[in-house]
Amino acid sequence: MTPTSAASPPAHASGWSREPTQSPRSKSEAGVIRRARIGDAVLGWACRLSAALIALMLVSLIAVLVHSAWPAMREFGVGFLISSEWRANEIERPVRDAAGQLMLRDGEAVMEILPPAFGALPVIWGTAVSSFLALVIAVPISLSAAVFLVRVAPRLRIAGAASFLIEFLAAVPSLAFGVWALFVLAPLFQKYVGPWLHRIFEPIPGLRWMFYESVTVAGRTIERPIPLTGRDLFTGSLILAIMILPIVTSVSRDVLRAVPRTQIEGTLALGATWWQSCVAMLRYGRSGLLGAIMLGLARAAGETMAVTMVIGNNNQISPSPFAPAQTMASLLANEFAEATEGLHRASLLYVALILLTMSLMFNVVARRLVVGRIASSGSH
Amino acid sequence: MRQRLNGTLASLAVLTIGCGAFGGEVRLSGAGATFPAPLYTRWVSEYEKGHPSVRIDYRSIGSGGGVKAIADKTVAFGATDAPLSEKEIAAMGGTDSVVQFPAALGAVVPAYNLPGVDKPLQFTGAVLVDIYLGRISSWDDPKLQKLNPDAKLPKTPITPVFRTDGSGTTHVFTSYLGTQSSEFKGEIGVGKQVKWPLGQGGKGNEGVAAAIQQTLGAIGYIEHNYAIANKIAFGAMQNKAGKFVLASPESVSAAGDATSSELKGNVLRADAWNAPGDDAYPISAFTYIVMYKQLENINSEAEAAALLGYQRWTLGPGQKFSAQMHYAPLGEKVQAAALAALGAVTHKGKAIPVQP
Repeated sequence: MTPTSAASPPAHASGWSREPTQSPRSKSEAGVIRRARIGDAVLGWACRLSAALIALMLVSLIAVLVHSAWPAMREFGVGFLISSEWRANEIERPVRDAAGQLMLRDGEAVMEILPPAFGALPVIWGTAVSSFLALVIAVPISLSAAVFLVRVAPRLRIAGAASFLIEFLAAVPSLAFGVWALFVLAPLFQKYVGPWLHRIFEPIPGLRWMFYESVTVAGRTIERPIPLTGRDLFTGSLILAIMILPIVTSVSRDVLRAVPRTQIEGTLALGATWWQSCVAMLRYGRSGLLGAIMLGLARAAGETMAVTMVIGNNNQISPSPFAPAQTMASLLANEFAEATEGLHRASLLYVALILLTMSLMFNVVARRLVVGRIASSGSH
Repeated sequence: MRQRLNGTLASLAVLTIGCGAFGGEVRLSGAGATFPAPLYTRWVSEYEKGHPSVRIDYRSIGSGGGVKAIADKTVAFGATDAPLSEKEIAAMGGTDSVVQFPAALGAVVPAYNLPGVDKPLQFTGAVLVDIYLGRISSWDDPKLQKLNPDAKLPKTPITPVFRTDGSGTTHVFTSYLGTQSSEFKGEIGVGKQVKWPLGQGGKGNEGVAAAIQQTLGAIGYIEHNYAIANKIAFGAMQNKAGKFVLASPESVSAAGDATSSELKGNVLRADAWNAPGDDAYPISAFTYIVMYKQLENINSEAEAAALLGYQRWTLGPGQKFSAQMHYAPLGEKVQAAALAALGAVTHKGKAIPVQP
């Protein structure tokens, strides 16, 4: 009695549910397949469209930039890349002859008007030098950290935690780095590091250029000491180095992880020391590591906010790392919002176009190196 | 007496606008200069208290943006620190279709970071030029010491700080230095953004102020109200009469009054820097409002009346808020010239009923 009553509800439930569903399904099987095919097609096209949209965004970005930068491209041409003048205002001044005497006409000085002039060399210089210095600082640390993550950390069972921490650094917004650099790094440099460097290096002959700048106004050149403010090319490079550490480290780690185990064991079997086997591993992955460095370079060249806060923002070319400088990205951050005059705006967009082209090139090269490497070692 | 009259007229204005807009709200928009934005925001909130049916929205997008917005007719009024150029006036249809008048005065101050120097330092234009051209590179320079015999100036290097973005502040500062040194005018020039030969750049008042506060021995030019609000030390300037004057609502108003005779017609402009007079602060400037003379950018009559009512109010009762916000109020002559310019405004040729 109890078994029947216990068994009947499920039997009823299953009979109730099975009967109406089974017969329509067999009848409209073709319809279901057709519907599924339509769904496949829709999804397929949606995916294609999304992919195309992303490509379209890049293409339209370049198109818009070229279009808006066109007035400056026409005006300055390729000379824009090597001109170091960046002046948004007109200057009205008396004409001087070769001897430096004022030219007079009817007892009054003859005036000339210098139109605004724009050239990108100072910001290209600033970007190149700050990115290079950042790499010089970051790459040795990144590579060492990557070797640690691949060869040492697994043995200590902290590979996961260490990787997480390094990747977490990549998630910190760049503004946070900037604020930290401005309020911690710059004052530290101004109060302690700067004076200390000055005391040690200034007396060394041949290093004077590091601590003095020459200013030329109206044909007269003055040499003056550079105030060590902590907001200069050096601090800018330092913060860049910290910001590219995570990407260079994590990509290097992936590249080194893809080095075949047999390769490493082979070196050890041949009697290599631990150090020598690490060198061999780095050498094996060198093109992938170069790609990781290129990715870091692309990031460094495009970084904006943090650099703007500590680089000093002066469009000048100074050999000294302690002089204020300007990068392409920081120039845009500084001037774009208030640049209403046509040629000025176009010149800024020209700079943006150069920056975009450069980053694109770095990224393409880096991808080829990294992806090619990981894929080929994976198939080993 | 005058206050009560204004009150009566104000309530009348509310009634009139209320009727004109069929009992609804009248919305007006303005855009432009960031420098007077705190004052304009205060004006709007004070005016809306007395005129609940009027809603005014001021966006501080920069002088250049304000001029562009009014030229594009996307706003009821524009605001700019630098008066319209001839080209900009032409783009708006020529002198006959534009009204420009000063709304307030502001000052730019030489702010510095020198702990231990308590009394405001004294500067001349020539000394500032020397600092910005790199000829004075230490605070104990004899030229500075001579101007400040009582101050104990340290041997700290000077870090000049400038604005990197185009701004009215730079325009006023370079215009003033241009009057002090022909070399400065011929080499650096005058403008909203110039090429400085050395020093640190900062974006906006806040960028310059941060650089000053962070750097021992820095000097920079920032707006007076910004220096006060952020408690940054600033110096006194020697004016045309040879007196050393600190920026204050009174000294800046005095500079405006001294140049009021230049304010003529419906496109008013006067350069208030390097103004004569014992009390005038030399790095002062007007900030302007720009409108269309026939208000062809305004649709309804009610909106035109509200716009004119608001602008008249800012030139009259509104002026008392200027000093509270550390701007300088317009003197009587300047007010009269501005109100006369406003008197020329019509709505597409039709007279607009006068409201306070």
